[in-house]
Amino acid sequence: MMEGSFPMRFINRDTIFHRLDPRTKIAMSLMCACLIVVLRMPEGLLGLFSLLLVTFTVVRPPFSYVRTLVSLMAIAVIFTVISQGFFYYFEPKTPILTFIPENSGWIGKLTGGLAIYREGLIYGAIQSLRLCCAMVLSMIIVITTYPSDLILGLERIGVPAKIGFVVTVSIRFLPALIDEARRILVAQKLRGLNVKGVRGGFVALRYLLPPLIIDSLRQARRIALAASVRAYTGERTHIRTLEFSRIDWIAAGLSTGVMVFLIFFYGGL
Amino acid sequence: MIKIDDFSFVYPGSGKPALEHISLQAEKGELILIRGASGSGKSTLLYCINGLVPHIFNGNYSGRIQVNGFSPSDISIRELSKTVGTVFQNADSQIFMMRVEDDVAFGCENLLMPREEIIRRRDGSMKEMGLWEMRTKETYKLSGGQKQRLAISSIYAMGPEIFLFDEPTTDLDQDGRKDFFGILTQLKRGGKLVILAEHQYEEYMPLVDRVITLHEGRLVSPERAPEYPPGFLQGYGKENEVVISCKSVDVAYEKGETALKNINLEIRKGEVVALSGRNGSGKTTLLKSLAGILRPDAGVVTIFDMANPSLEMISGRVGFLFQNPDEQLFAGCVEEEIAFGPKHLGKRVDVERYLHLSGLSNERGRHPQTLSRGQRQLLAVTSVLAMEPDILLLDEPTTGLDDVHWMHLFSLLSQYSMEGKTVVYATHNRKAAGTASRVVHLDDGRIISDEIYQ
Repeated sequence: MMEGSFPMRFINRDTIFHRLDPRTKIAMSLMCACLIVVLRMPEGLLGLFSLLLVTFTVVRPPFSYVRTLVSLMAIAVIFTVISQGFFYYFEPKTPILTFIPENSGWIGKLTGGLAIYREGLIYGAIQSLRLCCAMVLSMIIVITTYPSDLILGLERIGVPAKIGFVVTVSIRFLPALIDEARRILVAQKLRGLNVKGVRGGFVALRYLLPPLIIDSLRQARRIALAASVRAYTGERTHIRTLEFSRIDWIAAGLSTGVMVFLIFFYGGL
Repeated sequence: MIKIDDFSFVYPGSGKPALEHISLQAEKGELILIRGASGSGKSTLLYCINGLVPHIFNGNYSGRIQVNGFSPSDISIRELSKTVGTVFQNADSQIFMMRVEDDVAFGCENLLMPREEIIRRRDGSMKEMGLWEMRTKETYKLSGGQKQRLAISSIYAMGPEIFLFDEPTTDLDQDGRKDFFGILTQLKRGGKLVILAEHQYEEYMPLVDRVITLHEGRLVSPERAPEYPPGFLQGYGKENEVVISCKSVDVAYEKGETALKNINLEIRKGEVVALSGRNGSGKTTLLKSLAGILRPDAGVVTIFDMANPSLEMISGRVGFLFQNPDEQLFAGCVEEEIAFGPKHLGKRVDVERYLHLSGLSNERGRHPQTLSRGQRQLLAVTSVLAMEPDILLLDEPTTGLDDVHWMHLFSLLSQYSMEGKTVVYATHNRKAAGTASRVVHLDDGRIISDEIYQ
């Protein structure tokens, strides 16, 4: 089998979410972001997460996207839960599995004990739920919004045009960058570099970054020259237009309702 | 339309002028070819016409340039872009939008045209440049030739009278070049002034009105470029043992790569083989399979008696060079770069010898990425050779090389093959393919001919 490309781009489909005005989607994302931060109770976060999952199925993502999302979420959950389980800071905390008791001589004193705490695990689970919400949300936006529309939407709500352009160009060139990194890694192996294990990984990274960064800078310069001769100055008219339709109002209204409901009942304020 | 009068230019921080005492006049409907080695000032001359000098590259200049009655230094690049359109070598870095029609509109949007005007120009340009059928296609799905066509179409929509091309077909295969010939004809017929800087221009000569040759920033009288007889690289392999063989090899299609169907091929020790064919014919896929980078989905690739070996099993014995040398230069200086492979394989290496071979003895302490494009390519080849592999595989080794570096590269390969080593390279360039002692031609993932010279 051959290496595939990084599955993170717009998919041209006709779903409700594709039809929404980018500004509506930006507003909905902001509300979502608020909820992710504000909601304290796990039930509320779970509710938000399931809503997002439902939306994710509505936009009918291809299998490769689902796979990427699931593996990213798994990494986030495992990492957060374990690290919080061990290093939970707040009191009270109940150890459920003790590796080094606090009163075990000098090593206990030095480390302050090493154990997995129940409250830590729960706290980690809640934190990772937040991360997962953010991941599903960003994937929905990427899949359903044509990048130029997103940029235009951002511009219309007051984000400077140059920042918008930088974002468009990054989205456009990211897959190429990832492909390049892959080729460099193969080239390293072919030159006899041992890239196995953690140490090998670091060595590979050390020899990956310089060519990758220098080549990106070269590419950036080429892009800048090409943009200059195409009259780019930051100031431009747009061929695409945005229109707020009825489904936008409905979607915005619904999400506001959901937000108020979740905050009111699960905000823990 | 263009009048250049005793113009000289020095890049900031460089002691040597990039252009010296250039005088030149060009009129509507002309097609002018600029030739010259890398670093001879071809690109700089174009930058002086489109305003990148002095607006982006500001150095010291003297003399006068007039484009359509204006001096490029007096008006902005944006203003100038209405008259002068520029197309660069790398089509990929000239595409900004995800969809063909949006990219064609990009320049017009920047010129602040009203929406209806943009749509009119965009559609007109796509129709004239043969992109109408693929107007809603995503740009990353286009072939190399189509991408270059798109880059030209986007410039065309802005309506310039002068077209500057900076090595526009270096990355294109024979079909792409034929395509480009058609576009040049069209532009000429439309009364545009075209200035073309190219290394490989033979096939465009019927359209060319005038040839200008630059040498170290000065205009010189033209002289002929070196030619190579077919089979310049001698193959000494006919009776030797087989080092790589493919038996009914299939490789499945995935993004951007062409499938291989039922490939049967035997390559013997000491042979110099060119895999030729259009972009997308499967030659790079085949080359990667020969290196163990891609595993076949069916069939067997045998490398040194190992069936479908992994990269680790043959690392050091098979050298592979990707198309872009910059992705293969990791070290902090030229010397270290050459020693990199042998060091990690635990082999001894005569660094001096390879420095000498690469012609970079005087640059030993320099950072590889600061060398010129041609030097970087030679360094990348030499660094692979330094591992003393028995087989050397190269993907499009001549891309972007001028005649001097081209000659140097092939003399390296020739020397190496005379030591009884095997060389296989994939190329879309007819001249490069003709230099090998055996040419395997691919089309649509199959071998359609296999010729041995002598």
